[in-house]
Amino acid sequence: MLMEFSDEGLRELASQWVESARLPKLFKIYSDTTDYYRIDYDDVVLLGDRPYLVRNNEREGRFGIDEQQKFWVKRAIDLLDGSRKIIKLVFHERFKARVGPLVFDCTRSPAKETRVLQLTGTHPNFMHGFGVQDAVSNRVRVIDFVYGKKLSDLIAGMEMEHSVYFEEVFPGIFERYLDALEAICFLHSNGELHGDIRRDHIIIDRETGVFRWIDFDFIYHHHENRLGYDIFGLGNLLAFLVGKGDATVQELRRVRPDLFARIGKSDLNIIFHNRIMNLKKIFPHIPDRLNSVLMHFSAETEVFYDDTRQFYDDLREVMGSLTPS
Amino acid sequence: MAQSKRILIAVDESENSRNALLYVADILGGFPGFIIILLSVISVPEVDFFDSEEARKEWIREKHASLSELLERYRQVLIQSGFPDSCVLTDIILTKDRPVSSVILEKQEQYDACTLVVGRRGVSRHEEFLFGSVSSKLIHMAARCAVWVIEPVCKSQL
Repeated sequence: MLMEFSDEGLRELASQWVESARLPKLFKIYSDTTDYYRIDYDDVVLLGDRPYLVRNNEREGRFGIDEQQKFWVKRAIDLLDGSRKIIKLVFHERFKARVGPLVFDCTRSPAKETRVLQLTGTHPNFMHGFGVQDAVSNRVRVIDFVYGKKLSDLIAGMEMEHSVYFEEVFPGIFERYLDALEAICFLHSNGELHGDIRRDHIIIDRETGVFRWIDFDFIYHHHENRLGYDIFGLGNLLAFLVGKGDATVQELRRVRPDLFARIGKSDLNIIFHNRIMNLKKIFPHIPDRLNSVLMHFSAETEVFYDDTRQFYDDLREVMGSLTPS
Repeated sequence: MAQSKRILIAVDESENSRNALLYVADILGGFPGFIIILLSVISVPEVDFFDSEEARKEWIREKHASLSELLERYRQVLIQSGFPDSCVLTDIILTKDRPVSSVILEKQEQYDACTLVVGRRGVSRHEEFLFGSVSSKLIHMAARCAVWVIEPVCKSQL
């Protein structure tokens, strides 16, 4: 049901959450969100019976590249209760995903993300929200804002020797990673995929410290190994956490040429050949069992994980070999 | 009279599938006692890949039509190589979430095929890691049957 809100009514609602002086004289109200470029700061998006005051566009950047605006993703305030939201508007994108030398079709699907939101409900390891259709049936997702730091930023901020990190910090991180991994097992066992598993798609909940997955609107189709790309992402994430960041051949050659000389092709990531998976060669204090799991993602592995639950079970066994934090 | 032995050939539109078919035609064509099942598996992408359910159904229809035509052409190749008409069967099956290899293995059991034949595409290790390999999976998972994986060099001179 599309409720009507007068300018005065919206002002009264908005002034509860935003200083009146900062509110516009007239609100532009959108119930059709098709042209998301036009929807801007201080506009109101009406979805069903709830008005949302739009703030900034979300931004995303990776690997130090300047953050780019995602015009179809708006930060907003629910004017009825003041809660902060992320509103994801409909952006149909089909593209070729490139992973190392491999290329495959990928698509962005609002319907898929809505399904996953519904499936995961209030599961602590996922962002929470719901799907709603706008006035012209665009499938919009309204997501509760997750307060916290990206996992990638947490690791980037770790200024300590690896041995100290591994003994004192990593066990706690690993435990939470396992919970997040089990959450992906839950998705997979229910026939869904995350679709874009990466280190900046985990937010560390500011209140609970739980790792929460975000952004699962990507979908890909591989007819034989449906879970492969998700599992590959999980393996890369594990290596990132174990290594306290990416262990690259370039960096190793720069800082430890003696260790670099010992690295061979079999020690490298199966797809990203500049990343080292045999981390025990660099950090001897890494337990053998953990390193063995990492080596299933290396260039010359004979055995791949084709089931997330296998991967989880192997890592669960590793827990005992880590120093409790 | 001895029961006919069933050979299931998994085919798609690839050159390596054609090689597998021609190999069977070359090796077994004209010999009595074999029933050949030509099987194609249509792995249907998630509904999210399509703009609408109608688009998805249209995709399936087109794929089915194209594979039906292919299987009939292949059926004729086998008949011309000496298999009786009644001994060459075709089957097309749709699957959504399951690996193609699982479907093939299920059909092998259903048909009680003593041999599975598949062409080898020759994927790289990292392709196999990310995308999987039907032939590798069949080799590892097939039970109570032989698996012939036909390399491109085995193709027939026909």
